[in-house]
Amino acid sequence: MQPIHLENVKKNYQLDKVQVSALKGINLTIEAGEFTVIAGPSGSGKTTILNLIGCVDTASEGKVVVGGKETGGLTEKQLTDLRLHTIGFIFQSFNLIPVLNVFDNVEFPLLLQNKLSPQDRRDRVAKFIDRVGLTQYAHHRPSELSGGQRQRVAIARALVTKPQIVLADEPTANLDSVTGQTIIDLMKEINAAENTTFLFSTHDHSIMNQARRIVRLQDGRIQDKA
Amino acid sequence: MNVYFLIAYRNILQRRVRSLMLAAAIVAVSVIFSLLLALLQGVQDTMVGNGTALMTGHVNIAGFYKISQSSANPQVTKYPPLLEYAKEKIPEAAVIVDRVKAYGKVISEVDSTMIPMWGVNMDQEANVLGRLELEASAESNSPGDLKKLGESGTIALFAVHAKKLKVGVGDMVTVSVPTYRNMNNTKDVKVVAILKDVGMMSQFNAYLNANDVRALYQSKPDSTGQIMIYLKKLADVPAVEARIRKDLSDKGYVLMDKDANPFWMKFDRVAGESWTGQKLDITTWEDETSFLKWVVSLLSVLTFILTIVLSIIIVMGLINALWMSVKERTTEIGTLRAIGMQKSKVLWMFMLESLILSISSTAAGLILVGIMSQALNAAAIPIESDAFKMFLMTNNLSFHFGVAPALTTFFSLVTFFTLGSLIPAFQAAKLSPIVAINQS
Ligand SMILES: Nc1ncnc2c1ncn2[C@@H]1O[C@H](COP(=O)(O)OP(=O)(O)O)[C@@H](O)[C@H]1O
Ligand SMILES: [Mg+2]
Repeated sequence: MQPIHLENVKKNYQLDKVQVSALKGINLTIEAGEFTVIAGPSGSGKTTILNLIGCVDTASEGKVVVGGKETGGLTEKQLTDLRLHTIGFIFQSFNLIPVLNVFDNVEFPLLLQNKLSPQDRRDRVAKFIDRVGLTQYAHHRPSELSGGQRQRVAIARALVTKPQIVLADEPTANLDSVTGQTIIDLMKEINAAENTTFLFSTHDHSIMNQARRIVRLQDGRIQDKA
Repeated sequence: MNVYFLIAYRNILQRRVRSLMLAAAIVAVSVIFSLLLALLQGVQDTMVGNGTALMTGHVNIAGFYKISQSSANPQVTKYPPLLEYAKEKIPEAAVIVDRVKAYGKVISEVDSTMIPMWGVNMDQEANVLGRLELEASAESNSPGDLKKLGESGTIALFAVHAKKLKVGVGDMVTVSVPTYRNMNNTKDVKVVAILKDVGMMSQFNAYLNANDVRALYQSKPDSTGQIMIYLKKLADVPAVEARIRKDLSDKGYVLMDKDANPFWMKFDRVAGESWTGQKLDITTWEDETSFLKWVVSLLSVLTFILTIVLSIIIVMGLINALWMSVKERTTEIGTLRAIGMQKSKVLWMFMLESLILSISSTAAGLILVGIMSQALNAAAIPIESDAFKMFLMTNNLSFHFGVAPALTTFFSLVTFFTLGSLIPAFQAAKLSPIVAINQS
């Protein structure tokens, strides 16, 4: 089963009296374990696509299937559950909970899921914090960490529930190029080891060229599939 | 620790100044509200205590005796079997006394004043009249001794009257009462005690020897004014009242219909009725002090208005603070929604913040009030204004802070603040997860 499948997806925004077509008919299928980049200039619709796949927004037209479920027919509550159980998010600005330390931040999605025993949960959190190399920072608050370290925490948080899909909208945009590169390397490494499906957007050429698959977006349309 | 609790708690700490200000405000309201409640309770208790010592039992067997159609004597004739009945058949009773009613002029060398008076039997009064405090007057250093009322030819006056009449312990005054034959009978009596004033009710009471009063009115030794029954528990009043009514009417006594007013408001009505002879009137302390209810009602109204106004101000502050918190945490909330937190949990997270603040601050306020009311009572703050003394029926402010006002304060304030915080909490829950992603 493909984790992501988009069929003739259109998304229109109403801006005052003008209608903006952000996506003009997108067909896209992503296979399990893929490491895909959505590339395109600013305003081309990258965020819009990720919002639809991330189930935080719904399409104006067409079919969006995520984790085997068509999102158009789901209620807000069901969409929230789908996000919790199938998707891991990595945000451009890291978006950690400022009052929680690294450990608590990573643990949070597991608490929401409420599936593991306290002991299993702690083991899992420790494992993923170790995976991103932050074991010695487990009790630090986000404000005590560098940007790169914060994004590692975000990666651990996105992966800790072992989601089918990890989405990241320009995860390196707020990092310098060296740090950005280490983040991409980490994501690639986890993708290879765990076979997690990664989908992230960028407009940075040096980064998009490292992906196994690039989806080029221009003005709300996919240009070619390379 | 529960992670929602942790987040709420840490956010409160994070916004220290704002939280402290809010907490201080909530503490202040809970202190003001519960102090007022404690004062209200204090006034009520003092009123019940003084009122019952001065002029009523918890339940009374009183009544009127009519010699002619137009007369109305507040008398119970042939009372000994009734007293016997009260002593034997009311196990709830702690103390039973009987008093003879009188109304007349007390005349000194310099002045005179009309006072409703009671003829008392000091053998029975140790825990009733004996509860009142005595006071030395300007005219005499000695406060006197209430027990002397047991002797014939004695009177105990409240300070307010002693001052007006310019008499002290040991001075003589003349008591003059109009009798039903439209004549005035008089008796010279010695002041044996000066009672400390207890607010406005001091104006309406003075105490004579019971047999002197019977002699003044030329009434029989087996007549009295009322049998006053004090119960161990106030809660038993309705049951005891009902039982007395039933027992006495079964025994063949004629009872007056229930009229929740003090006896002195019933003269005109009784005088206008056509029956003659004896009717009994079973009354309670609430009936006899009902003319004082407005004081408590007025105080309650003031308490609640003040508290509601203050609470509204503070709820606005709380709503505003939470609303600012929601604004500042828009991205955080969007993120939580994006990673799969349900709206209801977001709502809960914000409610928790206000719950923690309001529960802990209200509790702190209550503890403070517990300590404060002890201290205030120990300090026995005198009420300076005579008007207030009258109004509050006491010379010192007394605060009775019990479990009931504490719980009332706690639950009403916490509920109120929690309801208020629903507004910003709903606002937070409505935030879309898109806000977390769409930012650059
Ligand atoms: N909420 C919105 N309201 C109106 N127009 C929007 C909204 N979000 C995005 N757009 C428009 O849709 C187009 C695609 O935007 P977006 O998906 O953010 O592009 P990208 O992420 O590639 O920069 C842009 O023209 C943008 O102005
Ligand atoms: Mg974008």
